[in-house]
Amino acid sequence: MKFKTVKRGIALGTAAVMTMGLLTGCGGKSNTSSSGSSSVQTNEDGSLNTDKEVELVMYVISDRPAGQDIVDAKVNEILKEKLNCTLKINWIGWAEYANKYPLLFSSGEAFDLAYSATWVNFTSLAQKGAFKNLDELWPTYAPDNFAATSDTAKEQATVSGHYYCVPTQLATYTAYGPIYRGDLVEGSGWDGVMENYEDIEEYCDIIKETHPEMEPLDQYSAEPEWSYVYMQNQGFTTVDKGLRYMWFDPSEENPKVFTMGEYEGTPEFLEMMARWNEKGFFSKSALSDTDSQKFQNGKAALRVHNIDTYRTQAILNPDWDIRFSNMVKDVAHLPFTQDCMVISNTSKNPERALAFWNLLTTDQEMYDALMYGVEGTTYTLNDKGEFAITDTDLYGEGAMWCARSDKLTRNQVGTPDDYDPQKQAFEQSITAGQGTERFAGFVFDTSSIETEIAACSNVAQQYWWPLELAYTNSETGLAEYTEKMKAAGLDKIVAEAQKQLDAYVASH
Amino acid sequence: MKDFIEEVKRNKALFVMAAPAVILVLVMQYLPMTGLVLAFKNYRYDMGVFGSDWNGFANFSYLFSSGTGWLITRNTILYNLLNLITSQFLAVLIAIFITEMNGKIFKKLSQSIIFLPYFISWVIVGVFVYNIFNYETGLLNGMLASMGLDPVNMYDKPGAWPVIICVFNSWKWCGYNSVIYIAAITGVDAEIYEAASIDGATIFQRIRAITLPSIKPTIITMLLLQVGRILRGDFEMFYQIVGNNGQLYNATDVIDTYVFRSLLQNSNIGMTAAASFYQSTLCFIIIVVVNAVVKRIDEEYALF
Repeated sequence: MKFKTVKRGIALGTAAVMTMGLLTGCGGKSNTSSSGSSSVQTNEDGSLNTDKEVELVMYVISDRPAGQDIVDAKVNEILKEKLNCTLKINWIGWAEYANKYPLLFSSGEAFDLAYSATWVNFTSLAQKGAFKNLDELWPTYAPDNFAATSDTAKEQATVSGHYYCVPTQLATYTAYGPIYRGDLVEGSGWDGVMENYEDIEEYCDIIKETHPEMEPLDQYSAEPEWSYVYMQNQGFTTVDKGLRYMWFDPSEENPKVFTMGEYEGTPEFLEMMARWNEKGFFSKSALSDTDSQKFQNGKAALRVHNIDTYRTQAILNPDWDIRFSNMVKDVAHLPFTQDCMVISNTSKNPERALAFWNLLTTDQEMYDALMYGVEGTTYTLNDKGEFAITDTDLYGEGAMWCARSDKLTRNQVGTPDDYDPQKQAFEQSITAGQGTERFAGFVFDTSSIETEIAACSNVAQQYWWPLELAYTNSETGLAEYTEKMKAAGLDKIVAEAQKQLDAYVASH
Repeated sequence: MKDFIEEVKRNKALFVMAAPAVILVLVMQYLPMTGLVLAFKNYRYDMGVFGSDWNGFANFSYLFSSGTGWLITRNTILYNLLNLITSQFLAVLIAIFITEMNGKIFKKLSQSIIFLPYFISWVIVGVFVYNIFNYETGLLNGMLASMGLDPVNMYDKPGAWPVIICVFNSWKWCGYNSVIYIAAITGVDAEIYEAASIDGATIFQRIRAITLPSIKPTIITMLLLQVGRILRGDFEMFYQIVGNNGQLYNATDVIDTYVFRSLLQNSNIGMTAAASFYQSTLCFIIIVVVNAVVKRIDEEYALF
């Protein structure tokens, strides 16, 4: 009898130990340090040893295309030959990325690479130890990529003094503004100038008159961007792209942070929005409308976004004479970390992963295979080297946005003629260390004020969005918004932003 | 302990039979509770759940920093009470109607039709709601205009939304809930009804004196089970019907939607764990209190 109880005790004990193991496995310390495996991975002369075949696992954010299997076969054929490895891509769909992405790094699952970006909280995840430190790995195993990355980009990839990502090499710009249709205003005698909000109003007036069935402005349940563009049109810049209630004037020597509630031009802006609302430029129920494709489907006549969306729209609807006008007064480069690649801290083959990244960002064949697929099957090239997608249902464009560079990325057939010239004009208007560009390397560290940020982003949505669309009274609404923001801790955020901005100015 | 071992020895077979269920509950329900420590930690991916530093109640502060915590707690409880009462009341009503019907085809048909909304996802319901209440092109304003009345902007009237949400909730759930009551009513001995009929009881007298008392235990159990979820707003419903429309939040925000909105943009696992901890603790308190009250009234009906 006694023996039986002992046995039971052992069984229980083992079960307990196993479950503890399970628990610690879930986000426990992962001490798979690179130093342990480097002896196997490196040859005597320091180059990468690829004798052992490995499978690299990468997470990207996008919906898996139907034709991915064909592309995978092609990619693995190249990889097998060049690096003796294969790549398994795991897709996190658009419907689930917000919940699933942060959990990737706490699940304890072993994988190598992942897409990351400012908009999925790259900085905060890096601070919380989700990624591998790349200080040595990046220059050693991806030397060509490291050499080609600009100093600004490297500075942006640095969190708490260490490299935590490999940023994109494709220069993108803060340029933002209306994308609108020329065909709708043809013959109306419109002067065609689109430089500020008066021009938008003029355009919308014409639309309202000639196409009353359309909504002049594309506004649905997403965050309204009219104040965001309006402020940039005045030459101001946000402290953080996600926190659009805090601004500063980059042309000042020591800029002072101010909020939408304090800004003297806010009442005037709200007055204008009230007028637009009155004129019916957007629906009175727009914030409950989930249709995000109104411009693309011809239901709305103007939306604001960036030059790449302009290109996409122009290719989709070539007959509409779609135009884009930048309204950001002082254009700068966007942070290169808005698309970047990170190595998970659970990676077993970080060396090979970086070697793969080096190949992908320097080799046209590899890049084409991952971005466009198989020539003749998923895409075709014309004599200018521009690509055309054969069947968007089979395979559109790959999700390796973080591997793009000016050198390897191809233009799509049908790209509007002024796309490249406009981009060149942005590049030329930028002077390093001047105006907004001076603050391109600034990253707002929000780790000490997360509570206030969460509360404020909520107040902004509850009170500012309806106010911006003039659903609430502009005077009382503004007072209420200001008061609620204060209660949510806005002053603390502004003080922190000012402190970090001053420190940045002092060190640059 | 000694008694327990004796007990095990005596009923070996019974214990073996119960073991899978007990282990399942332990592993799936009790073990994950250790994750609640996250609510009091400053979580770091490289240090893990237990290795991260403690940070006291800091994770809870955003819930209450601007007085929103009380508002959303109140909203959550009131909505659930309202929905609980209306949907259960309607479910009992429907169950009685359906069992009293005579035509077999008509009975099956009406039950299916009432049940159908259960299969419609909230995403679709959200689209219905928008198309009914849209100011410019909505069904409601179209009807008002055809009657020569002024259009109404429902999205400007937060006060109307508790009613709208309650109506849609009942519409979606009452058919599903009624199935349980139909089963309970079918279980009542038919002889009692026959005897009552012979004694000359009318249909209403039979319902009041036989049907309702017979399904009372089922009603109470259903209520108790629902009360356990009272602090968990039906996230999907609120999210799809109200969405991003800030104008309505004071009247429609529940804990789940507030937490979702505030924390979507930052991946702070500690703060979400704190919200979950808060909900669970309140749920626990409420269910213990309600159960105690039920026990006081009639011990038979209490859950535990």
